[in-house]
Amino acid sequence: MWGRVGIISDNDKDFNQINHIYREKTDKRILKKNPWKDYRLHITVLFLVIIAELIGPIKIPLSESIEVSIMPLLYSMVLGLIFYLAKPISWIQRKQARVAEGAMMLFIGVLIAKLAVSSGQSIHLIFEMGPALLLQELGHLATLLIALPVAILLGFKREAIGMTNSIGREPEVAVVVDKYGFNSPESRGIFALFIIGTMIGTVFISFLASLSTSLLPLHPYAFAMASGVGSASMNAAALGPTLAAFPALETSIEAFAGFSNLLSFSIGIYIVIFIALPLTEKLYYILEPKIGRSSDDDDSQIDENTAGGK
Amino acid sequence: MPELIDEPVDVSVHGVFNWILLLSIFSIITVVGNYMGYRHPIYDSLIGMAILSGITLIGVWLERRLPLNISSIIYISLIGIFLAFPGVPTSETVLYYVSKIELLSIVTVFLAYVGIGIGKSWDEFKALGWKAIIVTVLVIASTYLGSAIVAHIVLVMTGVPV
Repeated sequence: MWGRVGIISDNDKDFNQINHIYREKTDKRILKKNPWKDYRLHITVLFLVIIAELIGPIKIPLSESIEVSIMPLLYSMVLGLIFYLAKPISWIQRKQARVAEGAMMLFIGVLIAKLAVSSGQSIHLIFEMGPALLLQELGHLATLLIALPVAILLGFKREAIGMTNSIGREPEVAVVVDKYGFNSPESRGIFALFIIGTMIGTVFISFLASLSTSLLPLHPYAFAMASGVGSASMNAAALGPTLAAFPALETSIEAFAGFSNLLSFSIGIYIVIFIALPLTEKLYYILEPKIGRSSDDDDSQIDENTAGGK
Repeated sequence: MPELIDEPVDVSVHGVFNWILLLSIFSIITVVGNYMGYRHPIYDSLIGMAILSGITLIGVWLERRLPLNISSIIYISLIGIFLAFPGVPTSETVLYYVSKIELLSIVTVFLAYVGIGIGKSWDEFKALGWKAIIVTVLVIASTYLGSAIVAHIVLVMTGVPV
């Protein structure tokens, strides 16, 4: 959502820059122009937020013990998308979307700062639960055990390596492009994952967290740590239902989410480089000859033009 | 999807001013939402947002000024943790005001910008097939559940009470 993809298109292979996934877009989108020129964008956001807060959280019972909660954060995001797509709303166009994207990368900082304050407050918890926090990063590898075989069964070839090695946010996109090259099938795979994850990932993970917290008898802190698997917006969307499910543990849950985020940024990427990606590749070459479709079945290949960029 | 980038931009006084302006706009919208959703006092919430914005500003500034290759996210996390660390003189004040800002109020405003920002990818999204959507959903679900289950097992094994 807040991409480094722009840098990739510059064929910048400097691996060290992976850490700076926010910087370039923020700089070029918002430092050059005066933000008040886009006042209608911000007024629209204020309007969306007011509508979202007026509707308030809705709980939908699925059965006696299971309920899905829909939080205002989902309305404001979906309404934002609708406002962009709706033709009559002429003041929210591609240009405003670019400004929104640049501004967003600055606003992630506020979100992270709030989580960090909770982490600082509950620092003793972090030390007590360090092992769980570190080891859950390895739980991310479940994706290549489950999603990779399905991707191969569906007929994906080497695209599957890019699509299933990780949750596919900006840092992982950068790693895959760096390793396989911009026009490789692996990169096409992770671009597809990135775009679909951007469009539906936030909404999906919010429902997933809502269902999981009411269905699975896991430790509340386990859900809090799992919220940190994706991008900042996915993290936030997964936290909503988790906070709603365990209101008494609010500060601790925020603390774990904040720390899990910090970990993903500092060590998560190395798990992808040194463990997830090599394992995905190995597993692919073992599984593909056994369960893959014949190579002339081409319809499932991702179109280079749509996924690989223009 | 990829867009060509413009030439690099130096962080000038003008740039810092833009950051401050944007963070102020964001703070005001958040405080309005925070008041509507949770009825926290507006004055305290504004101070809370000012603290969070200040931390953000220092973080993004450090990222661009220090020669180290470290993301602003790391700086912001470390400053936030330090300011709220038990025993640090700032801790009580920071905790009081920041607790007036609900995380979900920030998220609601943040995601409104995200919703508008992702609109750009709509056409690319429509062009991708249902098979890719199935794989994406599986990737997200298995990553989330894998992480939750491993965390749960380790928490139980290390005897952490609920």
